[in-house]
Amino acid sequence: MEAVLEQVEQLPALLAVSRFALVRDWDSLTLDRALEWGRYFQHLHDRFRTRPRLREALGRRLRRGQSGPLLSFPQLGRCPQLLGLALLENRALPPAACRRLLHSLLQPGAAAEVGPEPRSLVLLARRKAASRLLALPRCPPRPPEGMEPQLQAEAQLLLSRLREEGQEVEPAGEAAERLRWLSGVLEQLSQPRAFEVVAAALLLLRRGSGAEQAGGRGRDGSSLDGNQASAAGEECVAGPLLSWLLGSSERFSAFCLFLSGSLLASLAGHYSQLSRPYLDLLTVWGRHLLYDPLQGRWVESCLDKAELSWEELRERFSCLCQGSALLRGQTQAALKLLKAQDGDFKVRGLSVWTDLRPKLSSGIRV
Amino acid sequence: MAQHTTVSKLNFEYWLDKAIEWGQATTLESQKDMCLHLPQLQEFLRQIYETLKHMDSFVAIQQFPLIGQLLGRLCWNPFVIGYDESQKTLMWCLCCLYSSEPQNPVELKANSWIRSLLCHLLSSSKWESNEAETSTFTSTLGYTSADYYCHLVKNMVFSLVTELKGNQFNGLNIQGRVSASRVNAVSLFCLPLITLPDLTSLLETLLLYHGGASKEILSLEFLETVNEAFLKKKISLPESAVFNLWLRHPPSLEKATLYLLDQLVSIQLNSLEEVACVIKESLLPQAAIHPAIFRIVNEIFKNALWETSGTPEVMTVIQMFIQLFLQAHQNENKQHKFPLKAYFPYHHQPLVTALLRCPFGLPTTQWSQHLKHISDMLKAFVEDTNISSPADLFEIWFLVACFGEWLDIAAEQLLKAAVEPDALLWLLAFYYCPQNENQQRTQTMVEAQAVYNHLMMLFSCTVLSVKDLEAAVYSIMDIEQCCNQHLIIHLLTNFLLFSSGGHTIAQEFIYHITETTDSSKEVCNILIRTAYRINRIGEENQSTVKLLNELLQKLALKV
Repeated sequence: MEAVLEQVEQLPALLAVSRFALVRDWDSLTLDRALEWGRYFQHLHDRFRTRPRLREALGRRLRRGQSGPLLSFPQLGRCPQLLGLALLENRALPPAACRRLLHSLLQPGAAAEVGPEPRSLVLLARRKAASRLLALPRCPPRPPEGMEPQLQAEAQLLLSRLREEGQEVEPAGEAAERLRWLSGVLEQLSQPRAFEVVAAALLLLRRGSGAEQAGGRGRDGSSLDGNQASAAGEECVAGPLLSWLLGSSERFSAFCLFLSGSLLASLAGHYSQLSRPYLDLLTVWGRHLLYDPLQGRWVESCLDKAELSWEELRERFSCLCQGSALLRGQTQAALKLLKAQDGDFKVRGLSVWTDLRPKLSSGIRV
Repeated sequence: MAQHTTVSKLNFEYWLDKAIEWGQATTLESQKDMCLHLPQLQEFLRQIYETLKHMDSFVAIQQFPLIGQLLGRLCWNPFVIGYDESQKTLMWCLCCLYSSEPQNPVELKANSWIRSLLCHLLSSSKWESNEAETSTFTSTLGYTSADYYCHLVKNMVFSLVTELKGNQFNGLNIQGRVSASRVNAVSLFCLPLITLPDLTSLLETLLLYHGGASKEILSLEFLETVNEAFLKKKISLPESAVFNLWLRHPPSLEKATLYLLDQLVSIQLNSLEEVACVIKESLLPQAAIHPAIFRIVNEIFKNALWETSGTPEVMTVIQMFIQLFLQAHQNENKQHKFPLKAYFPYHHQPLVTALLRCPFGLPTTQWSQHLKHISDMLKAFVEDTNISSPADLFEIWFLVACFGEWLDIAAEQLLKAAVEPDALLWLLAFYYCPQNENQQRTQTMVEAQAVYNHLMMLFSCTVLSVKDLEAAVYSIMDIEQCCNQHLIIHLLTNFLLFSSGGHTIAQEFIYHITETTDSSKEVCNILIRTAYRINRIGEENQSTVKLLNELLQKLALKV
């Protein structure tokens, strides 16, 4: 067992090497060996995935010496593709080794390739073309928010990884590390995109849409568990995402500015951890509006700060009031309280909360 | 060398021109053109690969100077890459052209270009861009482009399915929500992808889609290709989708029926259970519950029978089909299913009703009576009402022939429990010789009666010799009355199976008949049908069953 653990510790190095110029000295024999290692790691994964204690041991060994959970047990299962594709894109790989690589990538594996679909590169090429073809017919309808296919795919991968992590890592102690890792990952995207992906992921978790179920829930480790939708499991996945959102007030405020009112209302409805902070944020923005008697309307006090205009604020509250009964109740109670705090005026132009309320009640559909 | 003559220079130029044309194409017409050419292109690529794999990469480029351009252009065509196995063959061709020891800048450049193409095909970069940018987000998560595209395609399919299904709300068609041209475009663009398993739900949704327009919305090329794939068992679809396909595209139904006939007539089947299995898998009996489908299939069968001059194999297939159709109809739970008589609207209804009666729903003691009833009705209809045209006669004959089980039972009953032998004989005579302009049928009847009487005399003899039956054999040898031959062979075979004396000489006598009259296939067919019927009833004495199996084994070797 110790021998196996030692070997497993080599995987990060192997993957790292495959991405860099160190491969320029490889010949076809070296390449064969590398690919064989890949298959060996996959074999280990398949053997041990039903044995939790061994899985944990291997997972821990993998993480030793890496900063943050970059690689964990499930990646062992994907080793041949990770390695193969990384090598393919590595221009430093010399021709003889490359030719060998091409042959082994295209060859159906000696072990029957009837396992999970993503293992075939031919299928990959076909699917990539499919994604192009299916987007071709003109004038597609705009997908509902957060449901755009590419965005969903990224969200699904994120969720998948978080689930895998959730099964490996011991609770509590490693939460901070997980958060750090998540931040690092999300930094790979532009901030607006990261917001969209996180929002889509959170929605997918709650809606459990057909696409999510179809989108390969039966992945390497998780296909074994029958009850993936168990509360504890989902908590483990939503937790880090919410922590990331709420962790920095700047980030949360940018998040709420960027996304639309209806999407945020939807999220607030599903996640009670979000509704309170969101309402608080709207309150702060509301307070920054000043009444301009000449124009007869509320305007922003400082235009250089990124905040909401009166119309946008109204729209946000309106969306919240169209949400679930709980959310609606919460919002209306908050508005009532704010109005009271401001002096409970009934006249226009004195308190932003007074002026919001009638606009909302007329817009509420039962 | 023999190899490169198959891949001629002309073909290269032709396909390169096509590839260039397609590269600039954005119209629906050109896209249809692409879809039509995909199978031939795949075959051409396969030929190239077969040639390339024996060649050195440098030699290959010398030999086929256009190959780089061609493969390069095709790699950027999603229709080609998405189709069936074309992407595999293309990638293998590229692999063959990759040099493991590049000697000069040209080879180095070629290698680099091949790497780029493969990265374009396999990495997470966008289709249009030339850069092989791996999405860092995906790889940081520990996934590859394989995982990403797996999810993406499933999402896109789901999104399309939702869009199409959303158009039908509680059975009402909300027209205008999805335009007909968009549905048409979707069906055309997913044509190359039909055999990709991810698309099954989209195929189903398209086939079940009804936009309310009277003209067919789905592209005809799409319907044809789906049918092909289904017949070759490359995809599996739910029954309702297949039925819809055939209902909205009759040529596909025709193709499916002819394909079934081909399958069954060309291979040697040893039991009717196998035939039944193949027919059931084709889904045609189940589909025929839709009267429109039944009508078309029926017509095709009639034509097939006409063209093959009524070979027993084809007749057996048709009879099996009708039986399975009746079973499927019975099993159908829907409230609004049509009564069986509705499927045979042009015929004498009492006759239809009598023929539709399942033999196993009646006690065996009543079989003879029921057959007499059928025979009397048929005789009255044929002889008294002047059926003059051959077409009408054929129609009525076809109706009776479809219910072959009753005919087989008639032959059996004649020997076992003949209540009204004349009526039963007449029925068989009609089946084997329907025409009577020159009194053929009457003549057949007379001769059959003679043979029958002869057989009945011998029926109770426990010890028989071949000579005793030879008189019957001589009458078969009379070539002029060939319809007689079939009837008499039928009677003789039944005699051998069901009389105690017949058992002892069965093997010898059948050998004798089949040698002298070249009818081993026919006898085999009779035995197979009898075996099937006996298996279903289950009550028949053991010696008959044993004999039947022995005879079948012997004959199967001969045929």
